[in-house]
Amino acid sequence: MNPVHAALLVIVAVSVSACSEVPENEGFAGLAAMVDSDSSHYFLQPGPGNTLSFPGDLGPHPQHRIEWWYLTANLQTTDGQPLGLQWTQFRQAIKPRPADSPAPPPDAWPLEAAWMAHAAVSFDGRHRFAERLARGDVGHAGAVAEPFRVWLDDWRLSAAVETGPGDTWHLDVQADGWGYDLQLANTGERVYHGDNGFSAKSFDGQGSMYFSLTDLAITGTVTLNGQVHQVQGKGWFDREWSSQLLKTGQQGWDWFALHLDDGHKLMAFRLREDERDFLSASWISPGGEVKAMGPGEITLSGTDWRESENGRVPGRFRVQIPDRNVDIQVSAPDGQYWNDGLYPYWESPVSVKGSHTGVGYMELTGYGR
Amino acid sequence: MLAKAMISHYRRHPLQLIALALMIVVATMLWTGVSVLTGQARDSLAVSEEAVAARKAVVRNDGQPVSVTDFVALRRAGICVAPWLETARGDAAQKVIGIDPLAMACFDAPPTGSDSAGLDGDPFVDISEVAGQSSRPGQLSLLVSPGEGPLPSEYQRREFRLGPATGELADSFLLNLDALSLLVLFITGLLVRSVYHLGLAQRRSSFVLLERFGVEKARIRRLLTAELTLLTLICVLPGVLLGQALANRLGQGFGQALESLFDLPLYAGESSPVPWQAALVMVVLVLGACLVDRFLPQRPARQGSSSGLSRLPVWAWSATVGVGLMMVFLASSLIWVFAGSALVFAGVGGLMPGLLARCADAVARRQRQTPSSSLNRWRYRELAVMFRNLALPVVALQFAMATVLAVQALVTTFEATFDQWLAQRLSAELYVQVPDGADAQAGERALAQLDGLGDWHRVRSGKAQLLAGDGAAEPLTMDLMALSPITPLVTDWTLLASVDDPWAALASGGVMVNEQLARRQGIQSGQSLRVKMGESALTMPVVAVYADYGRPAAEVLVHGDSLPSGFRPSFQSFSINPGALAVDDIARRLRAEWQVADLVIRDNASIQALASQVFQQTFLLTRAISVLTLVLASLSLLVMGWVFFSTRSWYFQLLGIWGVQPGEIRNQLRRLALLLTSGVTLVALPLGVWLTWVLVSRINPLAFGWSLPMAVYPGFWLELGLVMAAIGLVIAWLIGRQLAGQESLRPAANLEAGGER
Repeated sequence: MNPVHAALLVIVAVSVSACSEVPENEGFAGLAAMVDSDSSHYFLQPGPGNTLSFPGDLGPHPQHRIEWWYLTANLQTTDGQPLGLQWTQFRQAIKPRPADSPAPPPDAWPLEAAWMAHAAVSFDGRHRFAERLARGDVGHAGAVAEPFRVWLDDWRLSAAVETGPGDTWHLDVQADGWGYDLQLANTGERVYHGDNGFSAKSFDGQGSMYFSLTDLAITGTVTLNGQVHQVQGKGWFDREWSSQLLKTGQQGWDWFALHLDDGHKLMAFRLREDERDFLSASWISPGGEVKAMGPGEITLSGTDWRESENGRVPGRFRVQIPDRNVDIQVSAPDGQYWNDGLYPYWESPVSVKGSHTGVGYMELTGYGR
Repeated sequence: MLAKAMISHYRRHPLQLIALALMIVVATMLWTGVSVLTGQARDSLAVSEEAVAARKAVVRNDGQPVSVTDFVALRRAGICVAPWLETARGDAAQKVIGIDPLAMACFDAPPTGSDSAGLDGDPFVDISEVAGQSSRPGQLSLLVSPGEGPLPSEYQRREFRLGPATGELADSFLLNLDALSLLVLFITGLLVRSVYHLGLAQRRSSFVLLERFGVEKARIRRLLTAELTLLTLICVLPGVLLGQALANRLGQGFGQALESLFDLPLYAGESSPVPWQAALVMVVLVLGACLVDRFLPQRPARQGSSSGLSRLPVWAWSATVGVGLMMVFLASSLIWVFAGSALVFAGVGGLMPGLLARCADAVARRQRQTPSSSLNRWRYRELAVMFRNLALPVVALQFAMATVLAVQALVTTFEATFDQWLAQRLSAELYVQVPDGADAQAGERALAQLDGLGDWHRVRSGKAQLLAGDGAAEPLTMDLMALSPITPLVTDWTLLASVDDPWAALASGGVMVNEQLARRQGIQSGQSLRVKMGESALTMPVVAVYADYGRPAAEVLVHGDSLPSGFRPSFQSFSINPGALAVDDIARRLRAEWQVADLVIRDNASIQALASQVFQQTFLLTRAISVLTLVLASLSLLVMGWVFFSTRSWYFQLLGIWGVQPGEIRNQLRRLALLLTSGVTLVALPLGVWLTWVLVSRINPLAFGWSLPMAVYPGFWLELGLVMAAIGLVIAWLIGRQLAGQESLRPAANLEAGGER
């Protein structure tokens, strides 16, 4: 779960539609305003009882306002150096489109949706980031469920065969002076978060549809300044869509996807609110069993605040899940890990110490200026 | 106690303090306004040049127009391209441009309008609005980011210009604006100095008194310096703020014009920081102008030279003027022109008050010795005294008027020239680019067959070489333009020199050269040139030198028939007046002839209208600066004149004692004031004309290689004369009122009080 993406898309939509003023008290980056906007009732809103279907849910959801395809990877070079990697592609609907309506013709240059892609590589204390933008329905950005592919310009994630255990995907990103070309093999089951895929995001019941592929074996090359690094490691892929995520008073979030060395996986997030934070987690066993956890079952606190170019941000979190005897310290490596795009946010690889050890990824929004 | 004594003068003469403070405030306001405006005009024009700088667009090799499919193919290949869909909105001059801000995000420097400031429809809109609602199909271009690598094999790059380039015309204008600013600074210094020293002259008796009480002279000087510094600091602050407000107000119109031309928010007047540098310059100027005498060797004061301007003998000032004139005339670089101009101004400033006074004395002497002419004689003698004692404000006013005259002439000439330049470069209503691979000859035949078509000609561009006569020197590479047929589209070009019937001579194998080439190579009409075009070298007579403003490059113009058969133009186009035909009909005919679907057609009328608009606003700006200078000088004259006339009131009242009626006294005062201001106007005229000549005929050619035509505008002289006359009448009216209100004679009319017995 990483609703920063929705915020970014809101910014894009705002710039496109020249609505330059976002009123106050509408939540972080105006996300809460979406709940009350006139057109929100035209978008479908996920809720408890909604189910997932495949392969369709790998593709786009034009009836929903926001969605993203999101990959993080904790890799190693051949000489054992850690390398963190992220790729995300977002869709933000500007106008809802009924399920049975065809897409508008490309030569009308329609503005019913905006797409954005982010790519980042964290290696040797340096964080590289690139951003691409596109309008939907023209052709240079989009997503198809089957055969699965998501693309924006020449950045693409694609599968040659039907998705599922054992499938292989190909991710190709070339930015200015760096890029990566990876093979992703899914070795596990899909993980449905929350209530069979419906992931609540507030005490009031707003939420999103959310599932993950947490066991991706990744190999390939990462090119940095002309030097090609052979890499391998593990990845985590998220799919999420919704039409409303934040409500008034929610300022930002802390999100974690962790690969623990004992084979467990942990997805946890906290939405920071004025009154009380909303926390949620999925504890995934090595066999793929998922235990969804609510606000009372997990605690999360930021420490080791570090000054950064965009403001103060916690560099370490303590995560506790008493029922599972989990008490871990999740730490970002030294350095700055801001994705400095339209809306800056923190995206860093992390290491895990404490009751469990491991690696993973951390996304922080709403900090700094 | 001492401080109280020092300022007691201003307690007794608050008007002088107010006048001095007002002068500093207004001078600071003027200088700040000018420096902010010129700085912002420079920045704005730099941005606008950047905005219209030639960019590249992607076109298909097969001549088909690019489509959204090409856009997608290029983007999926990793090429950063962005769509640009241009169409007309009702009135053809109102273009509307559809862009995709999301696609433009990959440009390092977005072409224009793509920032998130908003697509407000003027003229940028989101491309979906143009594609979906426009009744006229737009023309799609795909702009490509400058840093992009090779294109896929089925595409190539093509020049894409977003607007008209103003070229060096803008640079020239800004250079002249800079020269004007310096002149304003100079005039301002003179004016402030004159008001300050008038006050000092009136305070000398009190300083002598203080010395008698034991106060050292050096201490009095320190106190005077502190007094002036304090007053300057107090007055500079409101002056700077007022100047900035003035610049913002004046600049808004300028900014709007730039925005409408270049489609960019170019002018940041409101948000510009307070120009403290301008304030600092003003503080230094005021203190320097008023206190410079402290650092000069002391000389005994001479009768009638209270200003210090006439300390050198006449021959020295005359020699200064002569040397300055020679320097300006013979200068081979700008610095010498500026230095020479400074000498001329200094010399004229030194000469003129004495010269005017002598003239007034001479006129007085020539008056017949009759009772009726005694008043005339008195008036001219009085005038001579005033010219000597008001030397500084008189000179400052003369310089200010000369500047106003020169700026008016320059601006008017610029306007006319710019219109001509635009008309010359955009000679026809339509401009059709011949597509790559298309047979331009076939296009020519097709146009010739169109009934009802207006004037048109074919333009072939390329490079030519000018071969030296002896073949020893390196050949000079020049731009080549070939026109055919010769029509009224070009026959009204401005020709600086020509043989008889130059356009017929061109058709007979002659060559025309632009002014830049003629100046650099010393080419004159009538001589022969060896011109190499392609592989052939031809000897061609020069039939004319044409004005080619705004271009630094050397260029020759030949008739299309003169081109050797092996010449391959790099670019071809048609300039067309549609006449009775519709633009679409002409385009359709050419498309059919060339078998292409994509044709670049430019509407020159709208470009010309927009380009003119921006310069209109720039000219307004300059006029405003020159008028403000005049206002400052006039204000100074008014204040000085009033103060000085006041010191002479004892003599004016003597006229009454001698039996002159009050009405006649007021009449004499009016005539005296009118003589003073009209005398200044008369001597300002030649200086203004000379300054105009320097700007257009010396500074421009040295800086840019081409000159502006020299023109004088007597109508404006008359207007200026009337303004001066009005100031004279106001002075006379003020003094008349003052005299009427005085019950007794003032005893303090003496030299130390600023007057003369």
